[in-house]
Amino acid sequence: MNRIRILLGTAALAVAVGLWFAFTSPVDRLQGEFSRIVNIHAPFLWVAFLAFGVTALASIMWLVKKTPRWDRLGEASAELGVVFTVTGLFTGMVWGQAVWGRAWDWGDARLATTAVMLFVYLGYLALRGATPDPEMRARRSAILGAVAVVQVPLVYFSVYMFRTLHQTPSIRPDGATMPREMVVALLVNFLAITYLYVALLIARLDVARAEERVAAEADLAGDAVKPPRLTEVEDV
Amino acid sequence: MSDLFIVVGTFALCYAAIIGYAARLHLRRRRVKD
Repeated sequence: MNRIRILLGTAALAVAVGLWFAFTSPVDRLQGEFSRIVNIHAPFLWVAFLAFGVTALASIMWLVKKTPRWDRLGEASAELGVVFTVTGLFTGMVWGQAVWGRAWDWGDARLATTAVMLFVYLGYLALRGATPDPEMRARRSAILGAVAVVQVPLVYFSVYMFRTLHQTPSIRPDGATMPREMVVALLVNFLAITYLYVALLIARLDVARAEERVAAEADLAGDAVKPPRLTEVEDV
Repeated sequence: MSDLFIVVGTFALCYAAIIGYAARLHLRRRRVKD
């Protein structure tokens, strides 16, 4: 438990440093204060991509090894992916309302594909909730988790495939379209929020392990108080 | 000034949601321990 507290505490510290960079970096001349939102918007969605990638990897590993740890990892990471997708979409909507003049546009490829991705992973969590048998639950969610990840490249490349409202990335291999101070602030936030994801993932796995242990102990206690099968008792 | 207020509010809401998630994990862990 101490390890988890240290992890979450240092993650909070990293986020605080990220916030300091986000609110002290220069702002865009046209977007004004709203340009600061990119410091959390892009990292939240990057972490969502990472989380769904981890879910896919864990799903494939479960299909190969069939061990509960991979099932736990898949679930934990998908849950976090959903949290970060929701916050990423929310920040994008606030920025869009201020800069584009509209919070949402179903005609935009990036927005629509991200929304579909969110609904599919909400479905992944609902599927888990609707399947009581652990083996069946792990199998069904592993298949969905391994397939659903195709949406990640689809969301990422949607801005290149369809020229709609959402712009292409501001940091590219051939350079950035923003000043150095803004790039530094963005990179610090990328690191801080990725670390936050790792800390929350470890905390979530700790909870899952503890809950499974308690459930297993309850099963054993249940066996001990089960009545004898009368058909198997011999007459004396 | 009101723009900065909206931006700070957006950051605060997002991190409040994440803190809420972490608090939920903490409560689940404590319930299991008890």
